[in-house]
Amino acid sequence: MKVAELLDARRENWRELERACTQMESRFSRLNAENVERFAALYRSACADLALADAYQLPPNSVQYLHQLVARGHNQLYPSRSFMLAQWWDEMFYVLPQRLFRDNCLRLAFAVFWGIFLASMVCAYNSPKFTENLVGKDMMRTMEEMYEQPAISRDPNLGGVMAGFYVKHNAGIGLQCFAAGLIFGVGGLLITISNASILGAVFGHMATMPQRGNFFQFVTAHGPFELTAVVLASAAGMRLGFSIIHTRGYSRAASLKLAARDAMPTACASVVLFCLAAVIEAFISPSSLPYAVKAFVAVFSSALLLFYFVMLGYPRGEDDATG
Amino acid sequence: MPAAVDTRIEIVTPENIAFQYRVAGPFRRLPAYLIDVLIRIAVVVASAVIFSLAFGLVGLPGGGFGMALIGWFLLDWFYGGLFEAFWNGQTPGKRLMRLRVVSDEGQPINGLQAVLRNLLRSVDAVPLVPVGTDPVVFPVPTYLLGLLASTMNDRFQRLGDLAAGTMVVVEEPQRHYGVARVNEPEAIRLAAELPAGFQVSRPLARALSSYVQRRQIFPWRRRAEIAMHVGEPLRIRFGLPAGTSHDLLLCALYHRTFIADRADEADGKSPFDPAHVRAVARSDAAGEVVSR
Repeated sequence: MKVAELLDARRENWRELERACTQMESRFSRLNAENVERFAALYRSACADLALADAYQLPPNSVQYLHQLVARGHNQLYPSRSFMLAQWWDEMFYVLPQRLFRDNCLRLAFAVFWGIFLASMVCAYNSPKFTENLVGKDMMRTMEEMYEQPAISRDPNLGGVMAGFYVKHNAGIGLQCFAAGLIFGVGGLLITISNASILGAVFGHMATMPQRGNFFQFVTAHGPFELTAVVLASAAGMRLGFSIIHTRGYSRAASLKLAARDAMPTACASVVLFCLAAVIEAFISPSSLPYAVKAFVAVFSSALLLFYFVMLGYPRGEDDATG
Repeated sequence: MPAAVDTRIEIVTPENIAFQYRVAGPFRRLPAYLIDVLIRIAVVVASAVIFSLAFGLVGLPGGGFGMALIGWFLLDWFYGGLFEAFWNGQTPGKRLMRLRVVSDEGQPINGLQAVLRNLLRSVDAVPLVPVGTDPVVFPVPTYLLGLLASTMNDRFQRLGDLAAGTMVVVEEPQRHYGVARVNEPEAIRLAAELPAGFQVSRPLARALSSYVQRRQIFPWRRRAEIAMHVGEPLRIRFGLPAGTSHDLLLCALYHRTFIADRADEADGKSPFDPAHVRAVARSDAAGEVVSR
C-alpha cells in the first residue's frame, strides 16, 4: 500500500481520536461508556500505527503528528489521580505519627530549636546587650511598645484580619523553612537557628521588662502549636536536604525523591498546626478571657500534640497493626 | 537511538509503544509562570474587594480582609499544586502555553507530586531581589537557582521537579501531516521514466520525504545544492541525461514512492480526493503539505 493511501485510510481514525481527546480535555463534557470503549480502540490503533511508522515509511511530519497524538491520548487514558481523602486521613493519623516518632531529623530539629531557644532566652534574660546585638534596637523597641497596652484593648474587629495575617505570615515562614531545607539541609538548619535564637531572645528580654504580663498573656495560648509547627517544618526540610548527602545507596536524585515522599506529609502537618495556631492567636490570645482559660488552651493543645506524637506514634507490634 | 541533543524524551507506554515528548525549557515556562502570577494577583485583589464588601455589609470588615489574606496565602503556596493535581498537570498559564507537568516516566502526576513541586518553588526562586522603596518592598523572585538546576539535567528539571520526580513537557498540536504534493508536471513525467524495479530503501525514503516537504522554503539555487548529493548518484544509476534537474529527480522519486504506484497514474492527476484538496486550500501559505 502506498503511503498516501495508507494516510487516507487512517486519517479518519486519527481525527476521531483527536476529537475524543478534545472532548475529554474539556472538563465540561464526559464521554459515555460506548465512546470510552471507542476511544480505547482508537488509541490502540494509533499506538500500532506509530509502532509501524518506520515500516510504513511514513513521512517525518506524520510520525511527529502521531507522537503527539499518542501522547495526548495517553494523558487522557492515564489521568492524574487527585487527592483521595481516605488515603490522606490514613497517612496523617496512622502512618505519619509512626514515622515521626523515630525520625532522626525531627529529633535534631527539636534539639536544635529548643536548645538554642532556651540558651538564647537565658542569655537575653541576663544581658540586654545580648538582645540588642541579636535582634537590634528597633525591634526591641517595637516589641516593648507592642505590649505597652494589654492585648485585650485591641479592636475586636481586628481578629479576622489578624487570623489571615498570621496564617499568611507564619505558615509562609514555615513553608519557606521547609523548602530551604532542600539546600543540603543547611538552609533549613540556618533558618531554624535564626528563628530559635531571635524568639528566645525576645522571650528572655520581655521577661525582664515591665510589660511581661501583657506579653505572656498574649503568647501563652498559641505557643504550643506554633512552636511545634516551626520544628516540624524544619524537620521536613532537613529530611529533604540530608537525603542528598546521605543517600543510603540510591542515586542522589532517587534518594531525594524518596525523602520528598516522606517529608511532604510532615510539611502538611506543619501547615495545619500553623493554621490552628493562627486562629488561636487571632481570637483567643488577644481576647479578654482570664489567663486561666488561655493557660488551659495551652495545656490542652500540648496534650493533643502529645497524644498525636506519643500515643499515635508509639511503635506498634505487628498484631496491633492488623487490629 | 543515539543520545539526542534536542529536547525530546522517549516514553514507553503500558502498550509497549515508545513515543516522544518535547521537554519545555525555561523560555517556554516563563510566560506560563507570568500568566499564572497575573491571574493570582487579579484573584487576590478581586477577593479582597469582594470579601471586604460582603463582610462589611454584615458589619465585620476586618473578617473580610482576613479572608482575603488567607486566600492570598493559599494562592501563594497551593495555586499551582491544586491546579496541577485536578487539571491533570496544568495550570491556566500552562494550558495557555500548551505545557503539562508529567512524571519522570511520562505518567500523569499525582496530587502529592503536584503540591510538592510547587511548595519547593520558593527554593528555586532564590535569590530574591527587593524592588521598591522602604514602606512597600516586593521581593521579586529571580529563579536563578532553578535555572541553574535545570541546565544541569537533560529534562530542564528545577529542584522542585527533581524532588517530586516531574518534568514539564510541551503539548504542541501538530496540524500538518500527510504527504507533500508534487505539483511540477515535469517531475510527474520524469517519474514515469524511472526504472520500475528500483526499490527505495528506508533511509532513502526518509531523506526523500524530509527534502520534499521542506523544499518549498528554499530558493532554487539552494535546492539544487542540497539535492545534488543524492540526486547525482541516482541520475547516474538511472542512466538519465546529464543536466537533469536533481531537484525534480528527487520529486519524481518521491512521487513514485509515496503517491503514485503505477506509471499509468503519472498523468498529473491528483491522487487526493476533493476533501483533501479543500483541506489544502485552507492550509498555510506554502500550500504544499496536506493538512487535516
